[in-house]
Amino acid sequence: MNRAERMKNNLAAYGFLSPWFIGFLLFTGGPIIASLVLSLTRWNLLSPPEFIGFRNYITMFSPGSGFLNSLRATLIYTVISVVVSVTASLFMATLLNFRLKFMGFFQFCFFIPAVMPSVALAFVFQLIFNQHLGILNYGLSVIGIAAQPNWLNDTFWVWVSLGIVTIFTYSTGQMMLIFNAAFKDVPQHLYEAADIEGANYVQRFWHVTMPYISPIILFNVVVGTVNSFNTAFSIVFPLTGGGPANETTVLSLELYNSAFRMFNMGMASAIATVLFIIVATVGAIQFRVSKKLVHYD
Amino acid sequence: MKTFPWLKILQYSILLLVAAFMMFPVFWIFSNSLRTLPGISHFPPRLFPETPQFSNYVYVLRNSNFLLYFRNTMILIVANTVGTLISSSMVAYPLAQMEFRGRKFFFALILATMMVPAVTTIIPQFIIFRELGWLDSLWPMIVPGFFAFPYNVFLFRQFFMTIPKSLGEAAKIDGCNQWQVFSIVVVPLAKPVFITIGVLSAIWWWNELFQPLIYVQANHLRPLTTGALAGFRVHGSPHMVQWNLQMAMAMLMIIPPMILYLVASRYIVQGIKATGLKE
Repeated sequence: MNRAERMKNNLAAYGFLSPWFIGFLLFTGGPIIASLVLSLTRWNLLSPPEFIGFRNYITMFSPGSGFLNSLRATLIYTVISVVVSVTASLFMATLLNFRLKFMGFFQFCFFIPAVMPSVALAFVFQLIFNQHLGILNYGLSVIGIAAQPNWLNDTFWVWVSLGIVTIFTYSTGQMMLIFNAAFKDVPQHLYEAADIEGANYVQRFWHVTMPYISPIILFNVVVGTVNSFNTAFSIVFPLTGGGPANETTVLSLELYNSAFRMFNMGMASAIATVLFIIVATVGAIQFRVSKKLVHYD
Repeated sequence: MKTFPWLKILQYSILLLVAAFMMFPVFWIFSNSLRTLPGISHFPPRLFPETPQFSNYVYVLRNSNFLLYFRNTMILIVANTVGTLISSSMVAYPLAQMEFRGRKFFFALILATMMVPAVTTIIPQFIIFRELGWLDSLWPMIVPGFFAFPYNVFLFRQFFMTIPKSLGEAAKIDGCNQWQVFSIVVVPLAKPVFITIGVLSAIWWWNELFQPLIYVQANHLRPLTTGALAGFRVHGSPHMVQWNLQMAMAMLMIIPPMILYLVASRYIVQGIKATGLKE
């Protein structure tokens, strides 16, 4: 290609890219910088924004602040949701690899809760977890457990509740399908060799499957961590509303409350900026991990 | 000699047990949607009501805003799916099929923006849409759909990479320009990935809660998710939820994605796998 042709080619390519470029400026890159600027102001949307320097950040990091509480809630939520999602999805993917009939039916049953709206999931679990009338505590009483937890209204059990609900979320279903595909990629002749050696089920899993699956576990852990920042709101908001006593007020919920209930846009922007820095850090780790494991080209 | 298949029976038992566990929320929504309000709080709980109240569904469909919410959700799904299919496929094309300055850089930037959580950019977006006078309309949730969604760009790009460049080159010799190569050669070959992204986008918008919560206050503009949150209250006591009606509405909300999975599971599975690993 000569110079003029190359120019023309570049321009054509940028033409194709233009929708993303406009979207990036207006809805992603621009807002990230705007948030950074707004985080240095006090603004209630009514009077003009007032520049106050780093005061929002000082308030945020002072002991006992709502932000520090939500940072703690986010950390707990992330750990629970990643551990539960990865474990549950790995377990179900293992089951889906039994060499039996009707596996399509079982995959349907395992995956369907994942496409349920989180609002519907939250409603039904409010019934299931109800302290006096819920079926879960009834089940516990039947098997003779007298001390039944008040699932959603206790600062410890609410996390267990969220852990249980996580089993039914999209990220678990998504990981299950990824693991399932990865299992199918394990070379069959390795299993045959293991069978000849007389390996039992557990040995086969640890020595043949695991070495193939472990990079994908790592991949799902990192992706799951980033996803949990996105999914926390859609589960926590309808299920607990951040309660009891702000125990489960994750960062996204804290941001929502500051911005759209208190109309404290400066503070909310500061939270957004910190959340962005956290995600960017995790994302950088993800990028390094996936560079080693995933071949995009 | 064939021995009794203990292992198979054990495996099927585990599968059935886990399937029952995973389907329990669906079953429980269905079972509670057929109860009377006192039936919901009956103790000990019955697995299934003695006299199923199908009238709950009639009530939800006739006496609530369900159909209105459903219409709003459908508007969001159709507009966003059309928007993202056009714009994301366009953006993905040069990333997979053309050589140009900055290709690697732009692709890396798009991968990076895939991870940015929606909440971190919501405040400036809210301010833009407020300035435009678009609050309390569906526009803030429709217009961005036409500016390429990074995750979908990524999926399209992965698929377009599998189309040999020689096809495009042959078309160029026949006198096609880049746009014609894209629309005449590449798009028809990529039908499965269009269906995949269309289905995933539909599921996503069916479930989306955060944006409608922020942009739409007017009841008649709510989609199903925020509409369901408003909920059914007992007349005269606004803090008492009519759980049986709430469950009937929840059941109506989970049937469409279930059907979509039954019809298009192949595409859903393909799409999700593509985000995981590529050889």
